[in-house]
Amino acid sequence: MAKYVEVPVGPQHPALHEPIMLRVKLDGEVVEGVDIVTGYNHRGVEKLGEKNSWVRDIYIFSRICGICNAVHAQTYTQGVEKLMGVEPPPRAKYIRTIVMELERIHSHMLINAVMAEAIGFDTLFMLIMRDRERVMHLKEIITGQRVHADIHIIGGVKRDLKPETAEKVLRVLDYIEARLKHYKKVFEEDYTIRKRLEDVGKISKQEALKHSLVGPVLRASGVPSDVRVDDPYSAYDELKPNIVVRHEGDSLARMLLRWDEALESVRLIRAAIKNMPKGNPVPKAIKRAAGKGEVFSRVEAPRGELIYHIVSTGGPKPYRIKVRTPSFNNIVNSGFAYIGERLADVPVILTSFDPCISCTERVLVVDEKKGLRKWVPFMALSRGEIRVA
Amino acid sequence: MSPKLKLLREVISNIFSRPATIQYPREPAAVSSEYRGLHYPDLNKCIGCSLCMVDCPANAIKMVKLPPDYTNPKNPRGIYPVVDYGKCVFCYQCVFVCPVKAYITSNKFDMADYVTHNSQALSLKTIRKGDKG
Repeated sequence: MAKYVEVPVGPQHPALHEPIMLRVKLDGEVVEGVDIVTGYNHRGVEKLGEKNSWVRDIYIFSRICGICNAVHAQTYTQGVEKLMGVEPPPRAKYIRTIVMELERIHSHMLINAVMAEAIGFDTLFMLIMRDRERVMHLKEIITGQRVHADIHIIGGVKRDLKPETAEKVLRVLDYIEARLKHYKKVFEEDYTIRKRLEDVGKISKQEALKHSLVGPVLRASGVPSDVRVDDPYSAYDELKPNIVVRHEGDSLARMLLRWDEALESVRLIRAAIKNMPKGNPVPKAIKRAAGKGEVFSRVEAPRGELIYHIVSTGGPKPYRIKVRTPSFNNIVNSGFAYIGERLADVPVILTSFDPCISCTERVLVVDEKKGLRKWVPFMALSRGEIRVA
Repeated sequence: MSPKLKLLREVISNIFSRPATIQYPREPAAVSSEYRGLHYPDLNKCIGCSLCMVDCPANAIKMVKLPPDYTNPKNPRGIYPVVDYGKCVFCYQCVFVCPVKAYITSNKFDMADYVTHNSQALSLKTIRKGDKG
């Protein structure tokens, strides 16, 4: 049996605060295998959902994720609306769509900025984050807060979109669009970025389908799959989004695809504001009880297909809600993508899947013959006190 | 112009331009008037229906008895909501669900302090002692 060094990456990371751990097995510099360890952030949200009412759960489930909160609220609300037999007014659907697309833009900008930071391009990180703040401001003037939208309610939205706000959104979108195009060009043409991302973590179409990857990771491997088109919800059946597909399947393709998707989102928001139907999107009363039944609700989150399975036995509370987030598929099933790559590429590949992790400051030396496992401080390793033969 | 040159030009111009970040709290942070900030019930309007307490996802709202010298004929049970800002997640479900639109909203966000705050004092200011509603 071969000897290898096991380097734990995570569960704490200085850049992105997502507690996940990769146990990377190394033969020299080359990755031989990766164990993905999750479970550091179990908060019991599904159980909490069972204990609270249908209305309270909108806010509880939207707090599963800070970046995709409106998408979580949308998936939950549209499922509950189906259970209760409530149809939101068309204007509410358009407002929800605008908020969700703004979320997609800032989510994609964030992960591209994090990628720039991961490869050591801190200037680009700062510039993208500065421009991302403009998108956050748009979310603030539409919904009331820059992160948590909390605009969804059963049967509509909580706030109407004022005409002057819509005008401001359009004005800022012009600026954002120009910046998105510029950053896309930087990612396409910059020598440093190409050197770090091109042909790194390549996933073929067959592999992506076999390991049931979702979202931008799947589309970057040449599979045109998008819930907004396959199973339209909210206003997407009228807005007709285009699916962005790339065929390279490497980390660069995944990042460039996100820039293209953000540009597509800009187009969708413009179209939504232009074709916004008139009427009152704010419901007068909220329905508080659902009948017996179960519902399967899915939405295209910035990271891929988000699924809620809601079971009701009737009454004011749900019986069971199962959440399957896109990151779960993309991270837990993606161990194969690291094999054969270098250790330095592990954070890049992981970031290209859109979470992030880190290197802790020690390594685990494994001797499989003797069955020994020993934690070694990084300083001792750098001083040459530990020999890994 | 190639993107690299454009980026370089931007970086150089940023050296001489005003910083994008602000020195909070020495400089005030720009918050839009739409921001969901500090909110408290107006006791002249509140009817004590407790809907806000029922819907609060963070259990931040408690219904409390009005002090004996405060009365409001619209509020027969004599109870009013007190928002614990330490627990509040500012989702504004209480503001939305209130049947008499009793909540006064603001865009005040800087509530960090050494002591915990609630809406009791602010609410009691809205109604005069011995007020007959």
